[in-house]
Amino acid sequence: MSRISAPSTTGLSRRSFMTATVSAAAAAPLLSSPTRAEKPAATRSGLRETVAVSLRINKQPYELSLDARTSLLDALRDHVGLTGTKKGCDHGQCGACTVLVDGKRVLSCLSFAVMNDGKEVTTVEGLASSDGKLHPMQQAFIDHDAFQCGYCTPGQIMSAIGCVNEGHANSEDDIREYMSGNICRCAAYPNIVAAVVQARDQARGT
Amino acid sequence: MDPAAPKPKENMGEPLPRVDARLKVTGQAAYPADLPTANLAYGALATSSIAKGRVTKLHLDDARSVPGLLDIVTYGDMDKVEKPKFGNAGATSIGPLHDRTIFHDGQIIALAVAETFEAAEEAAQLIRADYEEEKPSASFDSPGTKTIPAAGKSPLFKEDVKAGDFDAAYAAAAVRIDARYSTPTQHHNPIELFSTTAFWQGDQLIVHEPSQNVTGWKAELARELKIDPPNVRIVSPFIGGAFGSKGPMTPRTAIVAVAAKRLGRPVRCVTSRMQAFGTQTYRAETRHRIRIGAGKDGRITAFAHEGWEVTSRPDPYVVGGTSATGRMYDYGSVLTHVSLVQADRNTPGYMRSPPETPYVYALENAMDEMAVALGMDPVEFRRINEPKAEPIGKKPFSSRSLIQCYEQAANAFGWAKRDPKVGAMRDGDWLIGMGCATAIYPTAVAPCAARVRLTSDGDVRVQCGSHEIGTGVRTVAAQMASERLGVPIDKVTVEMGDSSLPPAPVSGGSISTASVCSAVLKACDAIRAKLSAGATAEGGPLAGSHNEELDLDGGKIAARGGASAKIEDVFKAMQIGAIEEYAEFAPKGATPEAVKKLYAGQSEFHGGDQDEDSVKYAFGAEFVEVRINSYTREIRVPRIVGAFAAGRIMNTRTARSQLMGGMIWGIGQALHEATEVDRRYARYVNRDLQDYLVPVNADTRDLQVILVPEVDHAVNPAGVKGLGELGNVGTAAAVASAVYHATGKRIRDLPIRIDQLIA
Repeated sequence: MSRISAPSTTGLSRRSFMTATVSAAAAAPLLSSPTRAEKPAATRSGLRETVAVSLRINKQPYELSLDARTSLLDALRDHVGLTGTKKGCDHGQCGACTVLVDGKRVLSCLSFAVMNDGKEVTTVEGLASSDGKLHPMQQAFIDHDAFQCGYCTPGQIMSAIGCVNEGHANSEDDIREYMSGNICRCAAYPNIVAAVVQARDQARGT
Repeated sequence: MDPAAPKPKENMGEPLPRVDARLKVTGQAAYPADLPTANLAYGALATSSIAKGRVTKLHLDDARSVPGLLDIVTYGDMDKVEKPKFGNAGATSIGPLHDRTIFHDGQIIALAVAETFEAAEEAAQLIRADYEEEKPSASFDSPGTKTIPAAGKSPLFKEDVKAGDFDAAYAAAAVRIDARYSTPTQHHNPIELFSTTAFWQGDQLIVHEPSQNVTGWKAELARELKIDPPNVRIVSPFIGGAFGSKGPMTPRTAIVAVAAKRLGRPVRCVTSRMQAFGTQTYRAETRHRIRIGAGKDGRITAFAHEGWEVTSRPDPYVVGGTSATGRMYDYGSVLTHVSLVQADRNTPGYMRSPPETPYVYALENAMDEMAVALGMDPVEFRRINEPKAEPIGKKPFSSRSLIQCYEQAANAFGWAKRDPKVGAMRDGDWLIGMGCATAIYPTAVAPCAARVRLTSDGDVRVQCGSHEIGTGVRTVAAQMASERLGVPIDKVTVEMGDSSLPPAPVSGGSISTASVCSAVLKACDAIRAKLSAGATAEGGPLAGSHNEELDLDGGKIAARGGASAKIEDVFKAMQIGAIEEYAEFAPKGATPEAVKKLYAGQSEFHGGDQDEDSVKYAFGAEFVEVRINSYTREIRVPRIVGAFAAGRIMNTRTARSQLMGGMIWGIGQALHEATEVDRRYARYVNRDLQDYLVPVNADTRDLQVILVPEVDHAVNPAGVKGLGELGNVGTAAAVASAVYHATGKRIRDLPIRIDQLIA
């Protein structure tokens, strides 16, 4: 159900978008200033034409007005204010920007935001339950010290959830292979494998 | 037992989870480019396409026509700003926009600033330059490079160490080797991209940038911009990997600050992965010649280590690892010499164990060659040459547990089952090789300040301008405060990564845990003293007890006789709500100016080979098994064991993780990492994470870290030896030794790749 609407069809000003953002993700930092928010994004002077994009992010609807070249990653970070998803290379080579799109792991830097119109995006901010209980994969990463600096961690966790869902976590060798698209420069790899095993077993109820 | 949380042995702290773990797994840990900033404009760099010459003309019209473009900062726009300085906090003296000279490929020629990231990128890519181009000298052996002696060119490398008469001893030795080794150019490639966000609030400049040295950067940036240091604030609450790359400030920071000033609006510039190869620092390529002479009994009588390192034209960056290799064993005689080779390259900089990674690699590969020449077990060869004092100044080691490390690692690895004959071990199509090597890293410490506050309800706040680069320093600082003030760790909050906090030294040289914990310890002890005085004062809950004999635990203060009181009751008796102490720690032997220098952003290191009483090093031993496919020569490292002794271990979990990460870095040094330099253009070729190979998950299998107990009160009040850079020293030599054991091929040039084993 891919659909690219013209900016005028949404009728959403930047202010109404920001309002939606605030109610949808109260904890997320706001990146835009009040002065910018008052200007309708589509007619902001001097910019290339923008396109309207509808996304469901962490179960909340968002209507965005974006430069067509905006990656899903930059849309999340710079336009929605969800900075948990990280940029490590912008070339699909490191895995730090991994999110789930319709439940499958995707490198958000290699995907234009408009290509995801109408889709369901899950980021690291959307994993814990509303009462603050961590997702089993998040807890497993803490238990096994599966990170040091923590920068690649959101991508590792999203990728690990995808890996388990795909059925690619049956053995430690499988996990090592199917998690090799996510570089951890601190090299917490053995701990990441242990964390994925724990969360996998928990998901299986073993 | 969970391998991630080793059971503490003697002189080791609990494997508590990281205090910032929850923030890191929920995406709430804010790295500098994540910090919310209102009304942001985006910057993108344009960089040179030549390595040597001059920019004669810039073509900016196409860039200026990009919708959304706000400004271009380029030549002429930095004239009122001082040039960067190479040294304590500055990465290079090259001020890329101060004049039109091009010193290296990928040098900044302009910064485009626009309303959006996309527009800034578009504009930057449309900036073109005309050049007056000269033929660059890329590296070793390139015509036009200049070779100079390194000693004395840097305050960190004063002399070529020597002892005895090497020439005579070498000539007389019964067994001799003379071999040459090399290590390649390497880039840190932390996964967090390099970024600067700058904004002005009146005269105040605030910079969000990942930094290992916020106090040093504050001073350097204030100097460059000619403003008072108190008007500069560097904020870096979390750092997404550093490994030395975020130690010195690069010229980009001042350029972005100027852009923000011109625009009257915050500007964020995130350097692309590709541009970082030329605009940040790197580990320069090195060459080595090692000669060892020994008797037939295996006792070394002569050791010579000559090193050559590449640097830029203007800056004498030197690592000089002969200070460590010259003190490693009981050599008899020592001769060393280090040379710098000046080329048309960006200035190199610190990268995890800067001197030891290349120099100890060469030494340890040579030690294995010598063991083979002697027909001796390599572990036994090292045991025979274990020194009682270091051979240069004949000073004792403050502690040295190398042999214990070898014994424990060899035992866990199963070294006794190794058939020493080359090529003798095999599993189907796979040739098996086993090798080992020594790890060494100097134990240093620097002045550091910290503020600690204890409130009557038992909450503790620790403030220290150190940096959480993934080492766990925030966690161990919390552990130190928790332990000394007798409160649970979840009552402790630690603030770091901000130049407005009490100053800490650069988070480099593996000094952070020792320096920060020594300062936190001092502040906590001052709080204990005040509490004890309050408790024992007339009218206090423990009036009559001797205040030296009091202890703090579980929210209570207790006298030795058994009487105890709740901390909150002591506060009540003292009629106060909080005790706050500001402590400045200076290491033994610090100069009278050491603390003053700390506030000026200069870190005065003590320890290592610099102290009068003893030399201070941490040691380890690493054993690896390699498997090499007999047809394809594919090289795998299925098994690696390292045993390390590093004084007091504050937290066995974070310590193990750092050593583990280091060992995997070592596998990368051995088999993967190399920045290829196009010698015609002095240009880095593989400038991304697809072609610059680093270890991935599938490159590691069975890894074991053994923490060997060690007590050393001489190193610093905390008794801590740094270990963040210890794990990746020696690994590459252990792999090279194992490759030799499997194949009979001695590879001396890193990284070891399939092509070297096929030839």
